[in-house]
Amino acid sequence: MFSRSAVARALALPLEQAARPSFTSTTFRACLHQTTATTTPTPEEPLSASPRAQSSTPIPQPTPLPTKTPTTRADVPASKQPIAPTFSAPLTVPKSLLETLPLLSHQKPHYITAHLHDRPYLVTEGDHLRLPFLMPGVQPGDVLRFNRASVLGSRDFTLKGAPYVDERLFECRVRVMGVDSEPLRVKEKTKRRRRHVQRITSKHRYTLLRVMEVKIKSVEELQKEGEIVVGEDKA
Amino acid sequence: MPVQGIRTVATAQNGVGAFILQCKRLDFHYCDWAGSSRGMNAFLKHALPAFAKENPQIEIRISPRPHKHPIIKGHYINGREKAVCVRNLEPEQITQKANLLKQASGEKLKRTKKPVTSINDSVRGIWSPYHGGLKTI
Amino acid sequence: MKRLQLQRWSSSALSSRARTDGRLQRQLCSSKRFQSTDATPVQPASEQLAEQQSFPSTTIRRPVRVSKYKLPSPPVQAAHESAKLAALHARLYLPSRLPLETLARCLINPSADRNPQFNNSSFSVLGHDLLTNYATEHLICTYPRLPLSVVFATLYAYVGPKTLAAMAREWGVEHAALPGGEVDPGLLQYKRVDPGTDLSTEPLVGTTRPNEDQKHWRKSINSSVVYDNEFGDPDLAGVPPSELQPEQAQNTKPVTMEQASADFVRSVMGAIYLHAGRAAAKRFFEQHILSRHLDISSLFNFSEPTRDLVRLCARENYEPPVAKIISETGRRSRTPVFVVGIFSGKDKLGEGAGASLPEARARAAVAALKGWYLYSPVEVRVPSTMEEEGAAPWKPVYVDLGEVVS
Repeated sequence: MFSRSAVARALALPLEQAARPSFTSTTFRACLHQTTATTTPTPEEPLSASPRAQSSTPIPQPTPLPTKTPTTRADVPASKQPIAPTFSAPLTVPKSLLETLPLLSHQKPHYITAHLHDRPYLVTEGDHLRLPFLMPGVQPGDVLRFNRASVLGSRDFTLKGAPYVDERLFECRVRVMGVDSEPLRVKEKTKRRRRHVQRITSKHRYTLLRVMEVKIKSVEELQKEGEIVVGEDKA
Repeated sequence: MPVQGIRTVATAQNGVGAFILQCKRLDFHYCDWAGSSRGMNAFLKHALPAFAKENPQIEIRISPRPHKHPIIKGHYINGREKAVCVRNLEPEQITQKANLLKQASGEKLKRTKKPVTSINDSVRGIWSPYHGGLKTI
Repeated sequence: MKRLQLQRWSSSALSSRARTDGRLQRQLCSSKRFQSTDATPVQPASEQLAEQQSFPSTTIRRPVRVSKYKLPSPPVQAAHESAKLAALHARLYLPSRLPLETLARCLINPSADRNPQFNNSSFSVLGHDLLTNYATEHLICTYPRLPLSVVFATLYAYVGPKTLAAMAREWGVEHAALPGGEVDPGLLQYKRVDPGTDLSTEPLVGTTRPNEDQKHWRKSINSSVVYDNEFGDPDLAGVPPSELQPEQAQNTKPVTMEQASADFVRSVMGAIYLHAGRAAAKRFFEQHILSRHLDISSLFNFSEPTRDLVRLCARENYEPPVAKIISETGRRSRTPVFVVGIFSGKDKLGEGAGASLPEARARAAVAALKGWYLYSPVEVRVPSTMEEEGAAPWKPVYVDLGEVVS
């Protein structure tokens, strides 16, 4: 994974895009669990894609790499492994969802329970998110896309995933704001009959994120992307 | 007038639209004579141009501080400042410290328990005891 | 080549590099003959440039070097030497087509440098118009039923001077203590108001409203549309500077920090529009203004909500509203709670809880009125999207009459 992400970063492309450039190359998909950052210009980026001093040479499109399930370390439990993007088949939407999805997508505002390393974060648009860890390989200003959500909802409607909602139904983008740190913790350790107090210090660092956008795609948008197949009603 | 408008100011949400890096200035202080700034002097000579080019949004000031240890001081948009002493550090370590100051938000360090802070109203509304399933005694 | 002030001209030309705008250049050339005491006729800008390049060391035609300590604002050449300015440019991700000189000019308030060729007055007028235009069309298309007083308050919250000043602060713009030629061009330069000055006592002159000095006269909201500016304040920008009194034009009035910061943000908007085009200006507006958080439902202040609701139902041919108790607790106690709903026929318009029945009814009426006023269509399209290439044909948007009772 690290070599692959290094290649992707060298090409300044998100991993997902490097793996599957055929699928909506305009929208930017950084798979969150692989913690890839991008510097490709998106419509959400500020006026010019890069600050003045940075060179903005066009990035050559790499040859598509074979898609494979990204796996992190072997000792990580399966529930915490990043999910593989399943884009081989078009999105299947049951008829009941197709009828009720407009109700949800037209009722704003929305909330989303996004999962990151199997930990849920209930966020709405504009929320401030302090991850309980330091995300490697990101710079302030990078835009990430959360692609794993268990619940999408509005005031009156909820779409629950089993266990996760298909990532093509919604868009949730966050921006990396920087790195925060906690005040120094001091743990005093003592042993018996030893006139000495050992002070152990720790100071953890956390990544700050800001939720830029929480959007549930409407049926028209899904149809425009050509990924709707009305399946059998399972319910 | 039946309905009047109340004047307020829209709250900023940095990062939702545009992103402004919170570190606006880095001051590098060095000493020509003292040995504790050896790494700092090497950093200023060799690594600083690349750092400045990478981060054009940060104003960089360099000034001597004779007979003192070298420090890096970051100034933030919220008016606070953060200083790091870099005595006897190697240039690579100083680059790390400069990156630390660059990525910091400038706020005072706090311990927080909740990961999400929001200024939006609750999407689902607040539970009310007066609605639904009322019991009569 | 040193930049010269028009007032200080003795016998020389203005540096052609000092000009960033084509229209300004032409104005400068045409006005040069009148401003100068030189006997030689005016040369077009291109010839002047060619001459400067071919005879760089002509002693006769060389402009008089003015010490930068005597200039009211930093010279144009200083823009490239300022680290603050370059950092501000990069921090705002401004397009590279917008030069640093223009950004430096945006930072100079008319109170620091009276010369319109070197201050930001023209940019800020343009930027103000763009900001209010984009904000108004967004607001009216998104919330077509808002009453006018709330539209004024919302515009004030989005593009009012307080908000723009806060934006300048969030961009990390620093202020110069006193303007001058030797000051770093990355600092916002303006003449400050003396401490202790009471700004509210100044007489209101120069507005378009008749009987403007009568402060206690009732001002209707409809007259605000005609006479006042987009925030419902007295419109002071109606008088062009040429009609001002000569002594008024001579003495630059000091401005507050809020005014100077707001002018700076507006002029950045105007400069982006001029240098990078309409699309970049609109994106700048969306990213910096529309991304701010504003709860419009908290801007309403109703005085008689129940009466308004009755009028609204009569206007829209609904059944007259009836308030009914939905649930209650502790009527005989010290802390009762009543939940009252307002119904029109079988439809519940609104609901509110209160410690007494009239309070709960008023809250319910407010909720019903807010539900009416804050209607927003599902798909919002603003008129300025028609300026894009290949835009779909325009469909008229629904805009309501506005207030129920005015």
